[in-house]
Amino acid sequence: MAALLVAALPFMACPLFASAADPAAGRNKAQVCAACHGAAGNSANPAVPSLAGQPAQFIATQLIMFREGNRKDPQMSPAAANMTNTDINDLAAYFSAQPLVSSARITAPATVAAGRRLSEQYHCVSCHGPALKGQQHIPRLAGQQLEYLRTQLRGFKAGTRFDMDGNMTSAAHALSDTDVAILADYLAGLK
Amino acid sequence: MQGQPPEMKGSTLAPIAPHLAGRPASGLPIDKLKVPKGFKAEVWTDGVPEARSLTLGDKGTVFVGNRNLKDVYAIIDRAGKREVKKVLKGLDTPNGVAFHKGTLYVAEQTRILAYAGIEDRLDNPPEPKVIIDGLPKQVGHFWKFLAMGPDGKLYFNIGAPGNIVMPGYIQGTIVRFNLKTAKLEEYVLGVRNSVGFDWHPKTKQLWFTEHGRDWMGEDMPSDELNVVKRKGEHFGYPYCHQGDTLDPEFGKYRSCSEFTPPVLNLGAHIAPLGMRFYTGKMFPAEYQDNMFIAMHGSWNRTVKQGYNVIRVVVDANGKAKSEPFLEGFLTDPKANPPAWGRPVDVLVMRDGALLVSDDYNGIIYRISYKK
Repeated sequence: MAALLVAALPFMACPLFASAADPAAGRNKAQVCAACHGAAGNSANPAVPSLAGQPAQFIATQLIMFREGNRKDPQMSPAAANMTNTDINDLAAYFSAQPLVSSARITAPATVAAGRRLSEQYHCVSCHGPALKGQQHIPRLAGQQLEYLRTQLRGFKAGTRFDMDGNMTSAAHALSDTDVAILADYLAGLK
Repeated sequence: MQGQPPEMKGSTLAPIAPHLAGRPASGLPIDKLKVPKGFKAEVWTDGVPEARSLTLGDKGTVFVGNRNLKDVYAIIDRAGKREVKKVLKGLDTPNGVAFHKGTLYVAEQTRILAYAGIEDRLDNPPEPKVIIDGLPKQVGHFWKFLAMGPDGKLYFNIGAPGNIVMPGYIQGTIVRFNLKTAKLEEYVLGVRNSVGFDWHPKTKQLWFTEHGRDWMGEDMPSDELNVVKRKGEHFGYPYCHQGDTLDPEFGKYRSCSEFTPPVLNLGAHIAPLGMRFYTGKMFPAEYQDNMFIAMHGSWNRTVKQGYNVIRVVVDANGKAKSEPFLEGFLTDPKANPPAWGRPVDVLVMRDGALLVSDDYNGIIYRISYKK
């Protein structure tokens, strides 16, 4: 089959349409986020997630889900309500490029061993990557805030946390409360 | 994941999600798109986030549904320029769109809606009439493909509620709805999930694509292209896959001979979605009544495949053969992601050109032919 190459034709810009992501613009737009998510996306609050080092597509997807109402949170729903797709892409590009500062917390060795076993048993690395640093639309778990991890896992288990394709709800279904506590502790202590 | 056996626990295979904010065509290697000699592939419009199923209005408006978002877009072609409008919002998984005699039908997760006269009211769309309510709410395969049959009934899929699970009676089916009598019935059973189907222009038989289960190996089972000979046929799920392979769990005490096999196995985990018979006048005569199928592309396979549009030709004996038609999205079969775009649906336009939607980028391409 002969190849026939064609250049893209220019089209009318559409107000719904996002241009290529601009991390510098993202940095400006992210100033309001620091109050909860910390400086440069490194959260100091165990209940609030760090955004630094999260895959860009993950951040963009969650902001869109907050904006569209698929995922609901008392703070994030209003925060995302008026974001344009351009804003979202800029914020995602900015935060994903920020380094996640290693937390000082050390997980107890027994918990590390138990947590690793659970993460293998429940196939966490399948989606979240071999070092649980996330990929594409799937979040980084390594070094995330402990309390936040716990509430998300509990939410998936209860079927109340937004789930794009049902995979996390299925995955969390079999976790006991003890499993959730061990996993959250293990993940929070990963570098 | 559901149905993932212990021996596959180390697998790094994971579903691929679209860029929900869309990506501009200007940043993508559009020049990598390849079509047969005489054909041309170009961007028709970008800026349609998560563009999925396509349908054509009586006045030439293209309506586009999406799945993780909540919108239906209307695209109007004005003297060579495309205008994209978000005509409907706040819907629940509006993946199915079908236009018929002035009315746009939209299939949500649990409802089918009808918007009469919408083409004249794109800036102020009418309130929908809810023609079906209470369809199953389920965790998996809850998005629908919708099409009006030659019999005047609305057809749509109700997928299996998970990867490899025993479906409820109305699940794992293609159903149809009689608009005059407001009665719903199962048309065919044993269909894990079909997100693309069309009727042969001459035989009027329904042909449909079907996604096979995950976590049964690199090459097993194949996704399928099927044809319906009569109402009530059972196509095998969850007992028998690809016409000849019993499921390790559900196939116990069953025989594949109970079920209707596919006409063509399209490839394992290749994700065939929208399909249409070509009825236009633009492409060469030998394309008449051929099928075009959009292959979303695999995730449950270490060597990824699909991410293209294929042409399927059926001979006089009913045997089908496929060949690539639109390629160039797949860049590295072993990478994650392996491709820069993912076809979802196809649409034959009035002028005979073929539109192809790409939900990964929110772009619609147009394929045309000139002698």
